[in-house]
Amino acid sequence: MTQASSSRLYGAIQRRRNRGLVGLYLVVGAFLLLYAVLFPGILTIGGFSKFTQNWFPLALVTMAQALLMLNGGITLAIGPLVSLGAVIAATTMGSAFGVPGGILAVIATGLGIGAATGAIVALLRLPAIIVTLAGSFIITGVALILLPRPGGFVPGWLSTLLAGHTPVAFLLLLVILALWKIFLATPLGLAIYAAGDNPVGAFRSGVPIERVKIVSFALSGVLAALGGLFVAAQTGSGDPIIGAPFTLNSIAAAVLGGVGFLGGKGTMRGAVCGSLLLSVMINVMFFLGFPPVAQYVAQGLIIVGAVAVPARLALWRAAR
Amino acid sequence: MNVNASSSGALRRFLKATVAAGLALAAFSGAAHAASTCVKGDRKAPYTIGWANIYSVPTWMKQTEGTITAEVDELKKAGLVKDLMITDAQGNAQTQIQHIQSMIDANVDAIVVIAGSSNALDRVISDACDKGIAIVNFDSLVNTDKVTAKINTDSSEWGGEAAKWLVNKLGGKGKIIVMNGPAGISVSDDRRRGAQPVLDANKGIEVITETNTEYNVAPAQEAMTSLLFANQEIDGVLSLGGALSAGSVLAFDRQGREQVPITGENARQFLELWKEKGLKGWATMQPNWLGALSVYTAVQALEGKSVPAFIKVPLPVIDDSSIDSYLARADKFPADGYIYSDYDKALFDKLLAQ
Repeated sequence: MTQASSSRLYGAIQRRRNRGLVGLYLVVGAFLLLYAVLFPGILTIGGFSKFTQNWFPLALVTMAQALLMLNGGITLAIGPLVSLGAVIAATTMGSAFGVPGGILAVIATGLGIGAATGAIVALLRLPAIIVTLAGSFIITGVALILLPRPGGFVPGWLSTLLAGHTPVAFLLLLVILALWKIFLATPLGLAIYAAGDNPVGAFRSGVPIERVKIVSFALSGVLAALGGLFVAAQTGSGDPIIGAPFTLNSIAAAVLGGVGFLGGKGTMRGAVCGSLLLSVMINVMFFLGFPPVAQYVAQGLIIVGAVAVPARLALWRAAR
Repeated sequence: MNVNASSSGALRRFLKATVAAGLALAAFSGAAHAASTCVKGDRKAPYTIGWANIYSVPTWMKQTEGTITAEVDELKKAGLVKDLMITDAQGNAQTQIQHIQSMIDANVDAIVVIAGSSNALDRVISDACDKGIAIVNFDSLVNTDKVTAKINTDSSEWGGEAAKWLVNKLGGKGKIIVMNGPAGISVSDDRRRGAQPVLDANKGIEVITETNTEYNVAPAQEAMTSLLFANQEIDGVLSLGGALSAGSVLAFDRQGREQVPITGENARQFLELWKEKGLKGWATMQPNWLGALSVYTAVQALEGKSVPAFIKVPLPVIDDSSIDSYLARADKFPADGYIYSDYDKALFDKLLAQ
């Protein structure tokens, strides 16, 4: 009986959440369809693999950003963390540490930096936007010290495995999304939403707000650093400033995906969908033959449209 | 026996086929030897060219793109090119990878590229090379050698030649200020590094101080203005590029200080100030027509000509004897742009023949 009612409740909540995203799903679906018409090669394994590889790092950093935004935070250190992850991967994998050591080092770095940032934000009660802005300068500096010029080395087999002609990156994304789903079912995962939506209420219900904040920053750091690891594998080397544009793009993708700035509002699938739209848009505009100037304009229009269509749909539904 | 005969027949046929294949292979490898890297010879004119730019907004880039589209128009008339696809990665190397991947997907015949990162593009470019797409990389170069050609001037020579001119002008003695582009940018580093041996060899030259600014007038002028307050005696300015020199000249002018010998680049504003103030000046340039030359090189390679793997473009020099010829053409260039030296097909052919 309780089981049935709770699963009914779950279904109802999921439906309500998905409804807000229908507009975005439609827009993304239309773009994917258009892309497949313009470039049928996307339907082959090779074409699909290459396309998803170019999307994958953006999807990861968007998850890293959305995770914090759901918790009522934000980070401006995503890009530098991607760069640092790439630099650490490219400098350790060629050394005695090898690939496993490199992967561990990247994860440890993301976890450590994320947790430290989270601790400063949570325990000293400082605004996340300022702390992560300061953090972004420090992390950029460290990346430049470790690798002043692009270089380093990632073994060819790892590059081929992650970014070859097979959809490994896409499968990894599915695995990460599944892990997120499982994580959300745990008290800690639920607490991320709760603390973001209503911190005072969550605190009174016994949610350890500070610890949750630190955990979300740490997980976000790991995702961003792993994004850097993938970029290093994809390019075969490290570049100390390659991640910079990811900061703004991760915020744009999350907001496109319906994640609110005030916490507790939005879904991870929406955010990932938003990142997919940003990525597929670039390819569609290329195949439509837009000149660069028109691309700047079109990009802005598509983003406004992708936010406006769901909003209009919601209004229309409310009026009905 | 019968079996043997037939097998020996098979063997004979096999040998014959092998020999034929061997001959074909020899002929093919002979052709491959003559042709350029990446080019397989299976692509026929008219060609589709992809121009993968990293960032289209700066004036230098716009002018460079202008030479590319002009060259493509010429080649279209000759029936060699049918289409030009232009992308702008907006400064994002990751987006540039995605653009180049799309160009591979669209099966363009050649890709002309200014790299947003010296090694981030290596893998996607080598993928394109494997598909037989001619890759010509200029200005900002990639690491991988799986390209048809790389085209550039020598930044270190840039700095060295500028320093030599200034040292000679000052008679090997005097106090100078060095103006650099942004720190950590390879062009800026390389030019500065090229100047060092010349400065080391002339002990009479004292570098008072150095500046690092964007390649723009305003920040350079600001930096020079504060240095003018601090230093009463300045004999020369070793400016290493862009609009830095124009900023310096303006700073001297506003402070009412007497102009000193100065080096620089072909920024229109600097050249006009040079004439107007009667400066003792010297300038060189990163010619915008490297873009046009790249398209030309790509098409030549696709046409089966053998092009050099690295094309070093000599630095054109502007001095008192040639400045008038540059200023005479000034109105054809944007006010904040660069007056580049003339170019034609003969010059390109000469550069390709090195």
